[in-house]
Amino acid sequence: MRWRLIDGHPPGLLEYCRELHQYREVAYVLIRRDLIIRFRQTYFGLAWLLFKPLMLMAVMSFAFGFLAGFDSSHSTPYPLIIFCGVIPWYFFSNAVPDGMNSLLGHMHIIQKTYFPRAILPIAAVAVDAIEFIVAWLLFALGCLWFGYLPGWQIVCFPLFFLQLIVLCVVVGLLLSVINVRFRDIRNLVPFLLTIGFFVTPAGYTSMRIPNQWQLLYALNPLVGIIEGLRWSLLNGLDGFPLISVGFSIATTLAIGLIAMRQFLATDKDLVDLA
Amino acid sequence: MSNVVIDINNVCKRYALSHQHRPDSLKTWLKSLVKGAASDVDTPSEEEFWALKNVSLQVRQGECLALIGKNGSGKSTLLKILSRIIPPTSGHIRVRGRIASLLEVGTGFHPELTGRENVFLNGAMLGCPEQEMRRRFDAIVDFSGVERFMDTPVKHYSSGMYVRLAYAIAAHVNADIMILDEVLSVGDAEFQRKCLGHMQKQRSEHRTFVLVSHNMESIKRLATHVAWLREGQLCEAGPADSDILQRYAAC
Repeated sequence: MRWRLIDGHPPGLLEYCRELHQYREVAYVLIRRDLIIRFRQTYFGLAWLLFKPLMLMAVMSFAFGFLAGFDSSHSTPYPLIIFCGVIPWYFFSNAVPDGMNSLLGHMHIIQKTYFPRAILPIAAVAVDAIEFIVAWLLFALGCLWFGYLPGWQIVCFPLFFLQLIVLCVVVGLLLSVINVRFRDIRNLVPFLLTIGFFVTPAGYTSMRIPNQWQLLYALNPLVGIIEGLRWSLLNGLDGFPLISVGFSIATTLAIGLIAMRQFLATDKDLVDLA
Repeated sequence: MSNVVIDINNVCKRYALSHQHRPDSLKTWLKSLVKGAASDVDTPSEEEFWALKNVSLQVRQGECLALIGKNGSGKSTLLKILSRIIPPTSGHIRVRGRIASLLEVGTGFHPELTGRENVFLNGAMLGCPEQEMRRRFDAIVDFSGVERFMDTPVKHYSSGMYVRLAYAIAAHVNADIMILDEVLSVGDAEFQRKCLGHMQKQRSEHRTFVLVSHNMESIKRLATHVAWLREGQLCEAGPADSDILQRYAAC
């Protein structure tokens, strides 16, 4: 049997990932549990997984298509353009607060047993990701409804899909450790998300942003992801959004690096800090 | 050295008593940044408290070590460091084998989940895969004696039921080392007897125990070794049949 060393030094990334893998069962149990709790004591139960994105799509196509009358020159059905932006935004705006609150919300477990703490934000994001996947299935039905067929670009869909999940995980990891030390962030994040909705091309396409602002706008990692998703699902829509996709990958990586460093440095001290 | 399973080396744990140097909100943190004052958590503050100071101990396979000492002497802190809940400030511990720990009541049960669901959550956290847990489920329920309440959320459990289920799970995950903090004092006499019997049986199977207890009777029955902690320092350690226990009782 191997010796395990317990000391005050932060763990290395590789060693930590190995441990995450070792404790993956905890994540499975947590995900299943969150799903159960989310729909326990509801009349419709799991059907809410379908209802929520369905209602969202209905409201959004009404608001942006009918009321705001943003309908543009695209040959693509306008609701599909909107869904492509609203589905990822909805996921992001749910997953980030869930990830952020996951450590503080599980302090009673953290104080009693050991497991790599990163499992908590990851599991929290994963639960929202399930809803996210269901929403894309509805999107496919929407395509059928409009008689719309995506082009070859759809092969790139999984890449943007994955990037968004990675982005949510790393933002969740970062905010969750900050939240343990500075609970101020809890009050700040909902507000930031409200602003975020307007600087993200969820209800419109980034073509509407004036040229001189495009670079600054692309610093928001969601811009590249959403434009990339539109490109891959809607036959290349306005051409490949090279700049915003590049910026988005760079910012995602940067946030990921900061998040991992912060998390590894704080992981062992969480109980003392809380 | 061959059959040592826990090797504690100069372990220290420091707590800052005054929270002056610990920024609790962004505002105080930013203020300290502006003022140029050190904002680091590790800044030694005036009032520090050493919960543990240079503790070195070894536990061999199959031993049952009881930590004794007054309240606040560092027993629970040592168990928490062993269970990897908190890190030592300095020093290190080397452990061989899987640890299952029961710290205070309810080892991280989720209040909203039923007893059944918590069995699997807990099993996963103790490193026992779901299939294994499924196989041992009946034995766990049987041992805990709360089968009537397995489908009740544990938030409705009494503290006795809580600890029964928690002990039953920890006892059935086949850990090499079991860490118990004052667990036995919660259950009733019958359950305590059951646990003591279980522990004696496990000991014969070379399982190692580290426990904290104020109950001298159960220490005398179970412990092969005792370690006496006083104000965070190791005062005396040795076999349980030496006169450490008498000296501790006398002081």
